[in-house]
Amino acid sequence: MSLLEMQNCDVFYGKAQALHDVSISVEEGEIVSLIGRNGAGKSTLLKAIMGLNPIASGKRMYDGRDATRLSTEMLGRSGIAYVPEDRRIFATLNVDENLRIATVMGREGAWNLERVYDLFPRLKERMTSRGDTLSGGEQQMLAVGRGLLTNPELLLLDEPTEGLAPLVVEDLIKAMALINAEGVAILLVEQNLKVPLKLAKRQYLIDNGHIRWSGKTEDLLAEREKIEGLISL
Amino acid sequence: MSTIVIGLSMGMLLFLLAAGLTLIFGMLRVINFAHGSLYMLGAYLAFQMVSVTGSFWAGLVAAPIIAAIIGALMERIALRPVYDRDHVYQLLLTFGFILVLDEAVRIIWGLEYKQMYPPELFAGAIEMFGSSVPSYRLFIIGFGAAVSAALFFMLDRSRYGMIIRAASGDPEMVRTLGINVSLVRTGVFSFGAGLAALGGAVAGPLFPIELGMGFNIIIDSFIVVIIGGLGNIRGAVMAALLIGMTRALGYSYAPSWVDFLTFILLIGTLILRPEGLFSRKGRTA
Ligand SMILES: Nc1ncnc2c1ncn2[C@@H]1O[C@H](COP(=O)(O)OP(=O)(O)OP(=O)(O)O)[C@@H](O)[C@H]1O
Ligand SMILES: [Mg+2]
Repeated sequence: MSLLEMQNCDVFYGKAQALHDVSISVEEGEIVSLIGRNGAGKSTLLKAIMGLNPIASGKRMYDGRDATRLSTEMLGRSGIAYVPEDRRIFATLNVDENLRIATVMGREGAWNLERVYDLFPRLKERMTSRGDTLSGGEQQMLAVGRGLLTNPELLLLDEPTEGLAPLVVEDLIKAMALINAEGVAILLVEQNLKVPLKLAKRQYLIDNGHIRWSGKTEDLLAEREKIEGLISL
Repeated sequence: MSTIVIGLSMGMLLFLLAAGLTLIFGMLRVINFAHGSLYMLGAYLAFQMVSVTGSFWAGLVAAPIIAAIIGALMERIALRPVYDRDHVYQLLLTFGFILVLDEAVRIIWGLEYKQMYPPELFAGAIEMFGSSVPSYRLFIIGFGAAVSAALFFMLDRSRYGMIIRAASGDPEMVRTLGINVSLVRTGVFSFGAGLAALGGAVAGPLFPIELGMGFNIIIDSFIVVIIGGLGNIRGAVMAALLIGMTRALGYSYAPSWVDFLTFILLIGTLILRPEGLFSRKGRTA
């Protein structure tokens, strides 16, 4: 049984259809990635998983139950954490508060403030700085830390390495591997294969709102050129 | 001296109203036109409690609590269903609240003026720097300062304040953390209603209690909110004191120019610093 299954989902913005009959699944404890170029529908799918975009038709199964009608807050409480593309750090809260707010309704589990500060020591140094004074890398770490503090089973990461310096990207990759090693499943969204090839065992390629290919990373590598052509990377 | 005391006490009163307006605007993006009616309701409720129990303090406690309950019902029953619609609907609804509240007050308490008295403890006057100052005014200043301090402590230090600040900025993100934002909205509206009623209860012994009493002060409160910077509660404190002092000074030295002076402040702010006279960039709640 998969941890999360999106089954045949259609999602619209007004009259424009952004996702067509999309099905993906995430198994417990695995890293899967969703790859596609600009405007392919990656963020739309993550938001649909999190209940932020309504699913017009199709199903969301979570932990073996039909979770299609669950609200965003219920999905958050059942163990899905969302790290959005633009990080969405609370600007008027300081770093420590940005983390603590996730523990208010968060689940019990292995992650606590101290462990998040151990994972991202830089955040500890900036504990009392306001959210809107952070650098891009710090914001990304904070967004991941905030998600972790809900003690999720599934972490949705929307282009976590976008726009960051190579050294920071290395740190984040290590952090993701570590988080996953603790049993948290990760759905990683990226525009290219660079980071997914290092972390994920399975890949979904999305283009124009359609899943064009899915399979194991080694199969993708074997036919890389043909597959990349499918989604015009 | 008494001018300063009157100005400061007026400022504190304005702040109680402006704080509620600001919090509600920050959280719900709704300008609550009915805030003045809640203030009036607070005065009537306090009056009623005083006539029943004989204690001013009972009124001061009960009025905000009852108004907060009414506020919660208003938000749940009426405002919540229209959040997804255009803002105009919400504004119209808060206008509707005015009609309903005013009518309810008229039916319950009638049209004649009611009178409330300061508690015995603050009934007299105190000599300060050679002038005599009503001690109830001093009580308002102290009480207002204490309430503001508590309010800021709540906003800056407590878990509720943290959630309110976060949800005022990005409610959707707060929901992903499992927090029930619609409950937070109800709470904030209810709390704002309670603050308005607290203002009304405090103002009860100062002014005659009547149906139109919310009208003048609500205009000044809106001016305070704008001068302080929409959604900026720290700015609202400063602006409330500024307007309070301006009015008090105006009444003593140029009574016919008082409204003119406040509007000059308002227009000056709108032209020179539309983000608010006391706003640091990006500062909300
Ligand atoms: N709020 C919105 N309203 C209307 N259309 C939208 C909205 N958000 C996204 N779209 C459209 O839906 C399609 C998919 O967008 P989406 O943001 O999911 O792409 P993406 O794969 O995340 O792209 P990127 O890599 O640039 O983040 C695009 O055509 C986009 O223009
Ligand atoms: Mg995107």
